[in-house]
Amino acid sequence: MGATQTRSEHKYQDLVEKTGFSLEQITNLHKRFQHLSGNEETISKESLESIPALANNPIKKQIIGAFFDKRNQHQDEAGSFEEIGFEQFLMVMSHFRPPSLKTTEEEKEAMRKEKLRFLFNMHDTDNDGTITLAEYRTVVEELLSKSGAIGQEAAKAIADAAMLEVASTNVPHMAPDEFYEGITFEHFEQILKGLEMESRMHIRFLDMDTTTMRCGKSKS
Amino acid sequence: MAWFSPPVDNLLYRCLSVSITVWLTLLFVFTIVPAVLGVSFGIRSFYIATLLKIFEWATLRMEMGAKEKNQELYKPYTNGIIVKEPPSSLRELRGSASCLRSEPEFEMADIFYFCRRGVESIVDDEVTKRFSAQELESWNLLTRSNYNFPHISLRLAALWGLGVLVRYGILLPLRVTLAVSGISLLLVLTTLVALLPRTELRFYLSEKVHLMCYRICVRALTAIITYHNRENKPKNGGICVANHTTPIDVIILANDGCYSLVGQVHGGLMGMIQRAMVKSTPHIWFERSEVKDRHLVAKRLSDHVADKTKQPILIFPEGTCINNTSVMMFKKGSFEIECTVYPVAIKYDPRFGDAFWNSSKFGLVSYLLRMMSSWAIVCSVWYLPPMNREEGEDAVQFANRVKAAIAAQGGLVDLIWDGGLKRAKVKDAFKEEQQKLYSKVLVGDHDSRDQRSDKCSEGENDKDAAEGQ
Repeated sequence: MGATQTRSEHKYQDLVEKTGFSLEQITNLHKRFQHLSGNEETISKESLESIPALANNPIKKQIIGAFFDKRNQHQDEAGSFEEIGFEQFLMVMSHFRPPSLKTTEEEKEAMRKEKLRFLFNMHDTDNDGTITLAEYRTVVEELLSKSGAIGQEAAKAIADAAMLEVASTNVPHMAPDEFYEGITFEHFEQILKGLEMESRMHIRFLDMDTTTMRCGKSKS
Repeated sequence: MAWFSPPVDNLLYRCLSVSITVWLTLLFVFTIVPAVLGVSFGIRSFYIATLLKIFEWATLRMEMGAKEKNQELYKPYTNGIIVKEPPSSLRELRGSASCLRSEPEFEMADIFYFCRRGVESIVDDEVTKRFSAQELESWNLLTRSNYNFPHISLRLAALWGLGVLVRYGILLPLRVTLAVSGISLLLVLTTLVALLPRTELRFYLSEKVHLMCYRICVRALTAIITYHNRENKPKNGGICVANHTTPIDVIILANDGCYSLVGQVHGGLMGMIQRAMVKSTPHIWFERSEVKDRHLVAKRLSDHVADKTKQPILIFPEGTCINNTSVMMFKKGSFEIECTVYPVAIKYDPRFGDAFWNSSKFGLVSYLLRMMSSWAIVCSVWYLPPMNREEGEDAVQFANRVKAAIAAQGGLVDLIWDGGLKRAKVKDAFKEEQQKLYSKVLVGDHDSRDQRSDKCSEGENDKDAAEGQ
């Protein structure tokens, strides 16, 4: 019993260094992973799709896709997994890690770039390095209602307008027959340069000293 | 050798008969008689206090053991592992961004909000958490609620072994005997009472009989119940609603008052009990085919409620068992009937035994076995002041109001999710709802733009769609 404990600690120690989470956070995330996978080693897309709160989210498909996307594993691979293990799960989660007091400016810059990369990958589904109009339109349509106030035509118009704006800021004098390829990662970074990402793209993990709820007046 | 055995046999017989007599006498004196008369010797409270001391000692030993090995004692969470942002953040997101521009419009950054919400749901989902049993801070000597196996010392293991012996060897047979006698008494006595003509006496007697049998059942489970605010107890001609954790809820509530139960007709033992009960008091049992016909159900309930001599109806609007950390969506059917609603909040103390019935994991019989082999079932029942449907309030809003009151009193979390999600998936309508909300935010911005461009262009379908909002 003692041996297994230390072995799992070493395994988590690796992950602590790789992902930047604390040991306690990793243990809790592991528990959540077990719950999602039904105590198996890996989770598939179906396990994530069965989460009710996620079903509520308009870009559910993109978010689930991001977990299975090889590009988010920082190993310069492309394509997608069929199933992911705990380590890959953590790697994706690490994009949402908040900066601690000890992170330097450089590290913060690097984290910001990682987060932007994550979002970029979410849009750029065919991995050609640019977000084309078609890809962008797909995301916008998912975000808006297919049946409600904004019809498909309007959604298309909104996407077109947004792309046009991006194009005009990046390629100011485009000739009439020039074809705008799409948004590259550098453009993407530039568009979102002024945006304060720190508060929007991270999840606050709690400390684990929560108490259980007790009955009112139990016994006299 | 032949002459040796008869004395031994005699001795054996004598021992057995003596112990069984003692056993039954004790049972009779200490449990059945008080149950019949409605008094208590205070044995159970003493039992609980002793148990608590033992549990504290056990947890302390485990913590010491963990410290010696320089490890963390795994403290499970009950409230969640992340802090979720409130849903109003979408407005704030737009607000802070739009101050940079003169006109708010669709932004690439809007996707951040949904992205984060999505990952939050993956990490910490409210719904699936409610359907697994609650986890404890201290160990109650039941292996089913322990996750700290490496930290158990020899002494603790011995204590646990002793606990197993006590629970399965002494408590379980005792409880089973009690349960059997309780149920048989119920069957016999209600049949007897049913033979009487319909008079005041009959009502009085049937009430007494029911109460007595439920008290025996409560002792059969070693349930220690504290009732709060008894002045708000449900009265005739009303409906009592409560949160649902286990089938035992019925026994807990009926221990203190007579209710008419609502349910499907079963076969076998359950069916026999149902038929016996309905002979002396009016319960509402449905055939399986009738359950689907909502109007029929509603009519029978209204008829019952309109008759002021009949007892209040007991209904569990959640429709399924929840693990007692939250209250899920109340089905509106029972709130459509025109009458007073008496909400009741039930909260179980998980330190002595987990009362939650996870019907996908355990069948009813194994659940009852688990219940009867836990230490005890300790719970609090709060009777809330009666509520009526207000002017201009529809059934759903009324149901939510009642639900909020129950959740607030019991210290439970108030959720909008449907208990049926234990088995089914979320409807697409909810996803569309989120999409609509987001598109409203956009269309609100676009309306001003469209109106300007309309002056120059022909009316188009887009414009109609946007303005028809």
